[in-house]
Amino acid sequence: MIDFHTHPVLIQELARKYPDYERSTREVFYIGNNLQPLEIFFLQMDVAGIERAVLLPVDCRRARKLAVSSNEQVAELCRRSTRFIGFASVDPMRRGAERELREAVNGLGLRGLKLDPALQDFAPGDRKAYGVYEAAAELGIPVLMHTGLSWAPHTPLQRCHPLLVEEPVRRFPKLNFVLAHFGWPWVWDAVAMALKYPNVFLDTSCLYYDSPAEFFQFVFSRQIPTTLIERSLRNQIVFGSNYPRVEIKNMVHALKSLNLTSGCLEKIFRTNAERLLQARVPEKKTRSRKQAS
Amino acid sequence: MIIRLERVKLQTRKSEELIDITASVVEVVKKSGVRNGLVNVLNSHTSAGLLVTEGIPCLEEDILTHFARLFPEGEDYHHRRYLDYDGRLGFNADAHLKSVIGGVSCCFPIENGLLVKGSRQTIYFVEYDGPLERTYLVQVLGE
Repeated sequence: MIDFHTHPVLIQELARKYPDYERSTREVFYIGNNLQPLEIFFLQMDVAGIERAVLLPVDCRRARKLAVSSNEQVAELCRRSTRFIGFASVDPMRRGAERELREAVNGLGLRGLKLDPALQDFAPGDRKAYGVYEAAAELGIPVLMHTGLSWAPHTPLQRCHPLLVEEPVRRFPKLNFVLAHFGWPWVWDAVAMALKYPNVFLDTSCLYYDSPAEFFQFVFSRQIPTTLIERSLRNQIVFGSNYPRVEIKNMVHALKSLNLTSGCLEKIFRTNAERLLQARVPEKKTRSRKQAS
Repeated sequence: MIIRLERVKLQTRKSEELIDITASVVEVVKKSGVRNGLVNVLNSHTSAGLLVTEGIPCLEEDILTHFARLFPEGEDYHHRRYLDYDGRLGFNADAHLKSVIGGVSCCFPIENGLLVKGSRQTIYFVEYDGPLERTYLVQVLGE
């Protein structure tokens, strides 16, 4: 199983090596938990049954003065273990971002792009960001875009609406976008994006009140019908936990508590993520059929 | 009067488990040089515990099983909400309550440089919400 949404922000080994690492964790990402040895990350994965985890940095140096993990730090963790799949983050508003992304992918071996319009303070539809989308499409990597409520301070909700990503999604049909946190609270908007555009995926890392199991029961059976996932979106959802804001095991348990078939769960926990990480372009047949309608 | 405080780190490896820390506490007592006095052991977390019981696997299992019966994960807890001071949600009320009911500290006398305890007594660090790196305190006081 693959966890498509984790943040390496509480790792003692990185805190010892990089002076600003913990300050960024506390002030920019904003989490109060104790730093932990790297081995705890693997143990958290083990008890949850997760084999591999996507590590997400956020390059918000322009907007917040500090990055939330850097591409180099993520690459360093990936060199330590093949269980990690590293994503890069670049600031689409900064000159040279495309080159930086190419270097992160070709030089550091990172396999996706993480963007957070709220934390990085940019509009996803801003033409200045198109160079980065274009580079990502050429590199054949997915873009994991923060959507939905962010717990990080100074992150306006209006930057996080899933429909803000529609223009880039339309302009770059060969680029796969993963809308994080299922776009919550704009779940229907995120769902509509995934229904309409085959290059849109959703990750399950949404938890904003109650327990993971209670929240999932509400969102995925009352806010939207479970059948919508089972029948229509089973190929476009990936499991994400948002660790360490929540322990991975709790999110795995919550997803398994839904009334989904084992085939659908296999796609969400593994196959869709593998396809995203391997695919150079979205499945051609599906795209042309859907875009024609 | 000698007062010595040791912070001992340990790494739990499961969601819930009991870890025998008796030898580590005895070692701190030995190193302290205290001949007669007291040793206090305190778990410094609120979702883990510290307790004393007979050191056998069946009891270890019973403790976790019956604490889980008392505080089921699926119960209705007020703690399940966003904790703004922590930047994350609290949904481990069951672990906190197990910690409350099972306790977080113990105390033993020291006589002639040795920790005095019943032959069957084992000191356990109890993880209710792991795996995590944890810390417990051992303070030795005496002469």
